[in-house]
Amino acid sequence: MNTIAIIGFGGAGYNAARAIRKKDSEALIDVYSDSAKGPYCPMLTTYFVKGSIPLEAMYPFGTIDEIQKELNTNFYNKTVTAVKGAEKCIVTDDGTEKAYDNIIITTGSSAIMPPIPGLDLPGVFKMRTDADALYLKELLDSDKARTCLVIGASWVGIKVVEDTVMAGLETTLVDGADWMFITAAFEETSLRAQKYLESKGVRVSCGEMLDHIEQEYDGSLTALMKSGDRFNADCIAICIGVRMNTGFLKDSGIAMNRGVIVDKKMQTNIPGIYAAGDCCESIDSQSGTNMNIGVWANAQQQGAVAGVNAAGGNQEFDANILINLAHFLDYDFLAYGNIRLCSPDDDWYEYEDEKYYIKACRGQDGSIKCVNITGSADINGLFKNNFIKGLIEGETSFNVKAACQMRDKGVPQSFIDFLGGIKID
Amino acid sequence: MKKVFTFDQDQCCACGCCVVACTDQNDIDLRCGDIPFRKTFDDEFATADGHYSAYISAACMHCVDAPCITACPVGCISKDPETGFTIYDNTNCIGCKSCAMACPFGAPRYRHSDGKMVKCDGCNERVKAGLRPACVKACPFGALDCVDEEEYLASGSNKACNVLIHNLDLRF
Amino acid sequence: MTDLEKKIKAKIPGEDTGIEVKHAMCSICSPGMHCGVDCYVKDGRIIKVEGMESHPWSKGKICVKGQSGRDYVYREDRIKTPLKRVGARGEGKFEPISWDEAIAMIAENLNKVKAEYGPESVMFLSGYCKWYRPWLHRMAHVFGTPNFGTDDCNCSAAMVVANKCTSGTGGGADFGKCNTFFGWNYDGYYSNHMNVASVKGVKKRGGKVIIIDIRETPAVKNLADIFVQINPGTDGALALGMANEIIKNGWEDKEYVEKYTHGFAQYKALCAEYDLDKVEAITGVSKDMIKELARLYACEGPTACNYSASALVHHINGFNAHRAVLCLSALTGNFDRAGGQVPVPVTYLHKSAGFSTREAEFRSSADPRKTNPDCKRILGADRFPLWEEKFDETQTMDLLHQLTTDEPYPIRAIYAHGMNVKMYPESDNLARAMAEKLDFFVLTDLFMTYTAKWADLVLPACSSFERSEIKCYAGGYAVFTEPVIQPLYESRSDVDIIYDVYHALGLKDELMDLGYEGSIDWMFDGCGTCVSELKNGHNMPLKVPNAKWPVAPGKQLENGFKTPTGKFEFYSESIAKVDKKYGLDPLPVYYDSLADEPDPEGRYPYYLCTGARLSISLHSRVHEVPYLRQLRKHPMCEVNMEDMKALGLKDGDDVVLYSPHGEITVKVHGTFKIKPGVILMLHGYTEANVNLLEGRDHLDPYSGYPGHKGMRCNIRKEVK
Repeated sequence: MNTIAIIGFGGAGYNAARAIRKKDSEALIDVYSDSAKGPYCPMLTTYFVKGSIPLEAMYPFGTIDEIQKELNTNFYNKTVTAVKGAEKCIVTDDGTEKAYDNIIITTGSSAIMPPIPGLDLPGVFKMRTDADALYLKELLDSDKARTCLVIGASWVGIKVVEDTVMAGLETTLVDGADWMFITAAFEETSLRAQKYLESKGVRVSCGEMLDHIEQEYDGSLTALMKSGDRFNADCIAICIGVRMNTGFLKDSGIAMNRGVIVDKKMQTNIPGIYAAGDCCESIDSQSGTNMNIGVWANAQQQGAVAGVNAAGGNQEFDANILINLAHFLDYDFLAYGNIRLCSPDDDWYEYEDEKYYIKACRGQDGSIKCVNITGSADINGLFKNNFIKGLIEGETSFNVKAACQMRDKGVPQSFIDFLGGIKID
Repeated sequence: MKKVFTFDQDQCCACGCCVVACTDQNDIDLRCGDIPFRKTFDDEFATADGHYSAYISAACMHCVDAPCITACPVGCISKDPETGFTIYDNTNCIGCKSCAMACPFGAPRYRHSDGKMVKCDGCNERVKAGLRPACVKACPFGALDCVDEEEYLASGSNKACNVLIHNLDLRF
Repeated sequence: MTDLEKKIKAKIPGEDTGIEVKHAMCSICSPGMHCGVDCYVKDGRIIKVEGMESHPWSKGKICVKGQSGRDYVYREDRIKTPLKRVGARGEGKFEPISWDEAIAMIAENLNKVKAEYGPESVMFLSGYCKWYRPWLHRMAHVFGTPNFGTDDCNCSAAMVVANKCTSGTGGGADFGKCNTFFGWNYDGYYSNHMNVASVKGVKKRGGKVIIIDIRETPAVKNLADIFVQINPGTDGALALGMANEIIKNGWEDKEYVEKYTHGFAQYKALCAEYDLDKVEAITGVSKDMIKELARLYACEGPTACNYSASALVHHINGFNAHRAVLCLSALTGNFDRAGGQVPVPVTYLHKSAGFSTREAEFRSSADPRKTNPDCKRILGADRFPLWEEKFDETQTMDLLHQLTTDEPYPIRAIYAHGMNVKMYPESDNLARAMAEKLDFFVLTDLFMTYTAKWADLVLPACSSFERSEIKCYAGGYAVFTEPVIQPLYESRSDVDIIYDVYHALGLKDELMDLGYEGSIDWMFDGCGTCVSELKNGHNMPLKVPNAKWPVAPGKQLENGFKTPTGKFEFYSESIAKVDKKYGLDPLPVYYDSLADEPDPEGRYPYYLCTGARLSISLHSRVHEVPYLRQLRKHPMCEVNMEDMKALGLKDGDDVVLYSPHGEITVKVHGTFKIKPGVILMLHGYTEANVNLLEGRDHLDPYSGYPGHKGMRCNIRKEVK
């Protein structure tokens, strides 16, 4: 009988368990998690806050009990403190050790709260877990806060801004980089998003690094920036990024960067040990290098691939791309591809009309490097698919149907041509 | 019995019967700016030796491995075990558009009137009741059809919408 | 959601859901169609429609307009009560009045005009739909006026008259037996969804399909073996050129020509003027292709040809163009022969069902021109004598002229059902002339239309789902429909309104007095069934006992054609009889379709064709149906890509189309499907009525038909 441990139980872990059970009804599956809640997508936190869903809906796969029953797994509400790679053995916080045929690491990532003075003050919060969401919701419902400062124009930062704006809070967004979404957005795109935010009453300030936070006599908080600027607010959200939960693997013998390094099968350097989701650095289909890509759909697919392989199958995940959709306050902005690969010598494309802003970069070899589009949410899948097809098959043209859809949506012919044109069968 | 949508481009004229039938069946509120789940396209493309006239009807392809299902963070989307259609319950839909980003065919629709995602469900209830999907019933030219999977496989046709996904388009 | 809630949401019929499927009939388009529709009804309301699978003629198929039936019926602009004008004419201000008041008002006003000016000064007009026409027609005659007019003056009846002048009857394409199908202006996908399968059948048996059109339609893509893109308005020249080739090569059916035709020598001489060079220059069709078309028509028969209802006859040379095309059938021995054209007499209201009725007699036996020696000539008679001779209705295209000049006599009242001013050239001028000259104008319609806004009194009619109607179908079927929902608001059946008016006018007529159902029984006497039997509780067309179907060809050849000579007349004796001053040629001569409005300075270099069909429209009838409007949101003209480039236009730009007569602003769409220099614009939009660009005298001298599908225009980018 195949014995498998799954460490961490978010989207990747859950999908790994499902995939194993689908393939092997006999396998022993032990699930270790420090949370006894059902798996959920961290993205749901801000939606819960703005009232889009009730709390139960955050756990779409059910409770831990329901899932264990459905998938016939054993659940251990324990923290794994170490993995002994060579023996494929895991050590938990109560000191027990257990060896497995296969181990799948899906511990995800956590919001970064750097050791800066003042981050422990009441009213300073992060946004990653259900507890974070409950905190903010209570704060907003209490009507105590009139103003909010969001530090970090990240994908989650922008959703917190949406929450506080919708709750009627005067909101300021600051970011340390030169412009918002700097890891994915070209400056021109970012400026447009910023302008939109400002039109909704949000103050935006870039190039501001947090030094520390102080509490004022009236209870309000002041963020003091390295520049000397001061931002006062009733509450402050820290949204400066995430850290992969891989500290416990330090001496495991598993190859690591900041995350666990895996191949296309989601396997680590140690056969039988896999990693998937936000804790791993899988192979980016675009650059061929290992990279952490924290995207819900990817995490689940990676988890499933790890599960299949741990259960004796042979599957690869080869559509691992950087892709992000930021949508907030009826504005949407799609970014895909790796902005760091772009250089001024590449072919550049820019377009703007009432509906779209598009900026895109294409390498000399014709491959798309990075694309920003605003206003395209309903056809983003067409762009994504085009990009993946280009990476995997080297085929970047759109078929007639996709072309019809894009043109119907007003996508300019010049952009369709830039991406690879139309192929008529 | 699993069902397969088929579309034969050589019989289509983009007359819109399927779109109107979809509108009628699903009480699409056009006045609010909502749009039906199926859409026809009547477009032309310049080619090296002239042009190509495209007449196309498109909706959800009901992919065998539908990427929208995994993409949805709230688990709204699922497969009907009987028909194989990709169905949904949008009670908890948060309108995050992740499904649209996952769908290579632009099938999910964001409904502005309530901020939720909607899409073609293959007229799942109709099919279960022994009726044809509204759009298929409406097609006067035999371009759209919905057949049993077995019948489809036996026919050796290559016109199935959900098979296209494997053969032509989708990689994930 | 519970299972039952899911079923209700999905509109699954059943006792549990309370949803009942009721058979009905769509009457949105021409009575030549009228498909069976299944209405899903819950709590007295239609919640969905679909094609009626068990319908013996339409077999479950409906077009996109029919598919919009529910939205059509519940349109927001349905007229709810009788409305009396309170503002100025055209202003659209009304107040509700009762039916009794309305009917009394009609009787009083019509009788007043009759007393003051004579009954001929009252016109009775009908637009869509057409089902009540026999009663309206007869009422007009009983009232004492010959001036009953319909959209037939502007629709397809020019073809009927051209047929009468040539072959005596029309002839339908024998899809089932032809070897070659000439789809002359054929586009079933947009305008006749029921016969696409027939053309596919021709292909399936290995037959050849040729499509001659100015536009590359879906039929071209999906059906055509050969597509001939002809210069617009030049079909007559192509037909003559093909005939010339056929005769030159001796491919004509000599025996047929000898035995069954009249005027071959003159016709041959005419054709001889149309050599390949000339025809190529006119039509844009290559010489090789003309030769090939001639060969295919004559040598790969039997050949059936499509005679499009309006594509040709909506040119000012269209009457002759149709005759020229028709002549090819006789020349090659295909007329009234299996696999060629089969004359199928109309049974009732444009439908052939293999039996005869007394419709024509009902309509016209009380014609005042027969009963009253002092009766004035029908409107338009002086300008269009052939029409007067061959068609028992006014040539209403003369209405604007007669209104403005009061010549030969004044028109002072119009009683209309479904009249649509937008279908007339210079629509706005006509509306204004009506406002100025008429003492009284009453209109019955379903919707508050552009025309209704000019009326003194507006009456609400109901749709075919809300009333009864007699209908025949090919195959020998008839049905007397019963309503599937109650009439909405205070709307009523057109025939009930006509009868109320008839009684209020104090008219007396034996046939009218039979009542609606009684007069149907009178008209259908001898067919072997009657209204009470046809009412079967579920609107299912039944076999008519004495119907003979299919109708076999050969009757004209055997018994003689219904022409003065009893033969197929290449040289029309009916036209030869017309006073020479009208300049009508008994032969199907060709002349330029823009000849009447010369433009030597080239100020209007584009050829504007209006009304080229699209699936989503029928005149102006469904432009305001949201289900359909979603498929094309804005009035939009189509322009060739090269012209787009030259004009600096891109898709979706606003452009102004203009002529010496008027202008409209529409969106533009670039296309490869038409030739450079041609512009297509769908008609019937209130906000962009293309007929404003058409002059009142741009008419075919033979039929009086307006040249809707061929007129001069220019285009410019709209500068805001």
